[in-house]
Amino acid sequence: MTSSNGKPFGSVKNLLKRAEKILKERKKLKQEIRVCAGPGCIALGAKDIHKELCKQLDDHKKELEAAGLELNVTLSEKCTGCHGMCEAGPIVTIEPEGTFYTGVKPRDTKKIVEKTLLKDQLVDPLLYQLGHHRGGGKVKHYADIPFYSLQLRVALRKVGVVDPTNFDDFLAEGGFQAFAKAIAEMTPEDVIDQVEKSGLRGRGGAGFSTGRKWRSALRVKEDRVWLICNGDEGDPGAFMDRAIMEGDPYSVLEGMMIGAYALGATDAWIYVRHEYPLAVEHLQMAIDKLTNAGLLGENILGTGMTLNVRISRGGGAFVCGESSALMRSLEGKVGEPRAKYVRSVEKGLHDEPTVLNNVETFTCVPAIIDKGAEWFASMGREKSKGTKAFSLVGKVKHTGLIEVPMGRTLREIIFDIGGGIIDDRPFKAVQTGGPSGGCLPAGKLNLQVDFDTLADAGAMMGSGGMIVMDDHTCMVDVAKYFINFLIGESCGKCVPCREGLYQLYDLLNKITNGEGKPGDLETIETLCHTMEVASLCALGKSAPYPVTSTIKYFREEYEEHINDGVCRAGVCPKLIVYHINDDCNGCEVCRKHCPTNAITGEKKKLHVIDPDLCISCGICKSVCKFDTIDIMSGGKIVSRDVVA
Amino acid sequence: MSKRLYVTPYRCIDCKVCEQACSLAKTPVPGIPAKPRVQTFKVDDQTNFVLLCLQCDEASCQKVCPTDALVRNPETGAIEVNDRCIGCGFCVQACPFGCMDYDDIHNEYIKCDVCKGDPACAKYCPTGALVWDEKAWTDQEAKERTEKKSTDPFSIALEMAKK
Amino acid sequence: MSKTKTSKTVHLTIDGQNVEAPKGAMILDVTPGLGVEIPSLCAHPGLEPFGACRLCVVEIQKPGWDDWYKQLVTSCLFQVEEGLKVWTNSDEVRQNRKVVLDLLMARVPASDVIRDLGNQYGVTKTSYAEVDTEDTCIMCDICVRACHAIGRDAIASMSRGPDKYVDVPDKDACIGCLVCANLCPTNAIPFTANDNGKRRIWGKEFDLVTDERSGEVLGTTEYIEHVRKRAEDKGLLCPEDMKHESARVKRYGYAQKLSHVADVEEPIEEVK
Ligand SMILES: Cc1cc2nc3c(=O)[nH]c(=O)nc-3n(C[C@H](O)[C@H](O)[C@H](O)COP(=O)(O)O)c2cc1C
Ligand code: SF4
Ligand code: SF4
Ligand code: FES
Repeated sequence: MTSSNGKPFGSVKNLLKRAEKILKERKKLKQEIRVCAGPGCIALGAKDIHKELCKQLDDHKKELEAAGLELNVTLSEKCTGCHGMCEAGPIVTIEPEGTFYTGVKPRDTKKIVEKTLLKDQLVDPLLYQLGHHRGGGKVKHYADIPFYSLQLRVALRKVGVVDPTNFDDFLAEGGFQAFAKAIAEMTPEDVIDQVEKSGLRGRGGAGFSTGRKWRSALRVKEDRVWLICNGDEGDPGAFMDRAIMEGDPYSVLEGMMIGAYALGATDAWIYVRHEYPLAVEHLQMAIDKLTNAGLLGENILGTGMTLNVRISRGGGAFVCGESSALMRSLEGKVGEPRAKYVRSVEKGLHDEPTVLNNVETFTCVPAIIDKGAEWFASMGREKSKGTKAFSLVGKVKHTGLIEVPMGRTLREIIFDIGGGIIDDRPFKAVQTGGPSGGCLPAGKLNLQVDFDTLADAGAMMGSGGMIVMDDHTCMVDVAKYFINFLIGESCGKCVPCREGLYQLYDLLNKITNGEGKPGDLETIETLCHTMEVASLCALGKSAPYPVTSTIKYFREEYEEHINDGVCRAGVCPKLIVYHINDDCNGCEVCRKHCPTNAITGEKKKLHVIDPDLCISCGICKSVCKFDTIDIMSGGKIVSRDVVA
Repeated sequence: MSKRLYVTPYRCIDCKVCEQACSLAKTPVPGIPAKPRVQTFKVDDQTNFVLLCLQCDEASCQKVCPTDALVRNPETGAIEVNDRCIGCGFCVQACPFGCMDYDDIHNEYIKCDVCKGDPACAKYCPTGALVWDEKAWTDQEAKERTEKKSTDPFSIALEMAKK
Repeated sequence: MSKTKTSKTVHLTIDGQNVEAPKGAMILDVTPGLGVEIPSLCAHPGLEPFGACRLCVVEIQKPGWDDWYKQLVTSCLFQVEEGLKVWTNSDEVRQNRKVVLDLLMARVPASDVIRDLGNQYGVTKTSYAEVDTEDTCIMCDICVRACHAIGRDAIASMSRGPDKYVDVPDKDACIGCLVCANLCPTNAIPFTANDNGKRRIWGKEFDLVTDERSGEVLGTTEYIEHVRKRAEDKGLLCPEDMKHESARVKRYGYAQKLSHVADVEEPIEEVK
């Protein structure tokens, strides 16, 4: 890693000069190999791939140089942050063509070097295979994959592009241009103006206007303003903030520095979830580097600005992501929310004015300053500008990290980018907004996703989790699952949330067990209303959403459970029985696997399940090679696997 | 000049009228008399004594209270117990004169608050040992009082307490 | 506690009554004497507001809001504002209090206090699944906050969500003052005040100190020591004297000492 000869920059000019110099050097680059080192790819062995790649480059040094590819001059290799398409990992890309290799193994690196680098040929088996629904061809470049081509990356602009541990690399990709511009050409007022004009709304959940938040903090004239970056990201299945912190820590810091300049903040915290050690490592590395380079600490770039950034590792509880709980946690107290009638821009951390923003929010700021508020505001919809990162998971073909302009429909996100439902089963619902979000049915697929449309539909943006469900999903069971998650996350301070969740779970559990009573739905609705209006913090206030939204859109499913004892998705164990149909050829596999010996039958003869002994574990169905086991509920077949 | 409660101990005949008056005035539930805030004592054959809260400038009770439940009423100058009291009893322990007390019948921490400016004890005292009066001290009188410090029982009490 | 620098007052209406209140006060603090009743379980004037029980909810409307728009807030935490309108007993308020009490009745079926309150709001039997327990703790945190206030921090609420409970992580810190048990709104903390000179609470046994002359119990050894230390820290007159005398005995002692000089004509200034 080249460093800026170890000395602090001292002035904006020096910084820009340095960036120019690096850029000039980079112009010589002919090829760049990027090994994805996001969490998914690392788990699949990206580190070994990188090691092997370096070895191969070394082994082939002579040939490469003969071909005009000199390492670190005209050829470079680096590990980057997450590319988003984790299911296809480990991923290796080669720029500038955008060659996209998936499922790479260490031994493949030899071929990559020998074929692609030296002979300009593609390594066919490593290319990405499009699904059947798109003609099933192989794709050479990621720009041709709908998963990428339909995205628009603003917050994730440098994730997967830069080496998160390399400051020069970040400079080469246009880093710190925005900060230099802000500090040299703009007044703090200008910065806030731009942010306000851009229409940026907080990406952490509530969607509050960032410009307005900053301005109101300016109005509270106090000596000290705290700046906090919320990287707690407790939503299960969400990893946008993680990808940014791990893959592009400098952008987060640049955003915070611009914020600090605008607000006159001298102290900042980054609150990172405990489970993200790599994010902490990269952020800390970046902070140290910036401190040495004179971009953090005292007298930044000779302008007299002071900013100290510290990292705090969160306790891991979901509720610690809530702003007041987060601040209490930073104060060293129990991470419980406190009453919020006094806004934290007036009295936050240590009762001093505090501005808290999400990782993604901060990351958008440099882009806005760099390209202008109009550019940002030109994307998205009237009241929700810009783009939003989502983590797309569940029963969708391409899971991963995506970013799209506000206003894309759910259909575009799930079917075009996500490639549709696995096995092309019918789509049933999509859950947005994390554990306390809502479930939207197929009828809402044309909903243009933004903060307000989601809220109006009874779901929410949250931090951007999206869980896709197919027809094998029981909505009562889904609601129960999320309530169960929230029970474990509620801090237990206030009665509606603590007792309400407990009772909600109990009621839903009874319903899924076939013990529901008429009137239960009304009891649930009354309870949900009180939880929504009377809970202390937003966790309790939004906790009923999974229930209210499923009741709203799938009421008949609840009613079937209660009145008829039917689970149409064939999920709730107490309401279903397994049944072997006539296609059974008597292979005996299921009989041998059944843990309760509920299956009888002779070889080559139809087998039968004794419903009294069956515990609905589903093992038989999963072992049957001939897909002859059906799920019945209320005397009807509710789930039968189609034989391919 | 506001009114003050003047105590002249040697006039006390230990009749305990003040105690009863106080008790009745402070009874929250009729029929269950409260513990009196004032007390008289027969010290020896010739001497009786009446003692109630001194409303100290730097009151110990106030200082130890963890919840600021003891607050001086600017109108009467008396320190009063308010609803912030959590019943820890630190004040009872802290008062060197035993003038902060706990009424276990009514479960209350009690002290003299000069009946918010109309002290029942003084009203009923038959001998003038307790007087609620407005009395302006001339400079000369005030000086005399400080000079006669050694004979002023309360100054002596304070002195002894300091030892 | 936030102390307001300026002693300004604001004007608001509570259930139609015009009220003048000091700026910075909470709605709940200004209701006594107005004839309105707001139930509350977790608020205590001497302790930091907490907002756990959600019984004290009221509806408010700020000036400038649409006529139909009201918001439900907890009165123990909401500061009075100029022009604020407050409804303490509307249908929405009663409905939500009812659900909260209903939930509490399911949590602590053994508590009379909760049952009586529930009855006042028309809940005679809980609509939810009763928890099978004799415990009556409703996690209002009053005990924990009180223990913090007196400077001991012996008890704390542990765990989270429905599993939350109050326990004594630091037994050594407990001084057996019984403040927690006496403040508990639902009498959930078992204790023995005096059993042959011993006191028991939070699984710890204490020796009681009695006044030799009056026989009155002064508190546990640890309690006396704690107050003595506290008095010393605060620079009080004579911490030594607090050790072993009841209020009555102390008074008598001083009466005796003072009587030697009591034959002075001079009246004694009593109240400043
Ligand atoms: C239960 C709960 C959990 C939250 N978790 C997070 C989180 O993990 N990350 C986050 O940025 N915001 C989270 N928030 C939202 C924050 O309270 C806060 O609104 C946000 O960080 C503000 O930043 P923004 O204005 O940039 O969105 C959470 C809120 C609640 C109620
Ligand atoms: S709503 Fe839930 S998480 Fe929030 S304070 Fe209440 S109990 Fe805690
Ligand atoms: S024990 Fe009593 S005072 Fe303590 S939290 Fe429980 S209900 Fe509240
Ligand atoms: S008294 Fe206000 S929430 Fe309990």
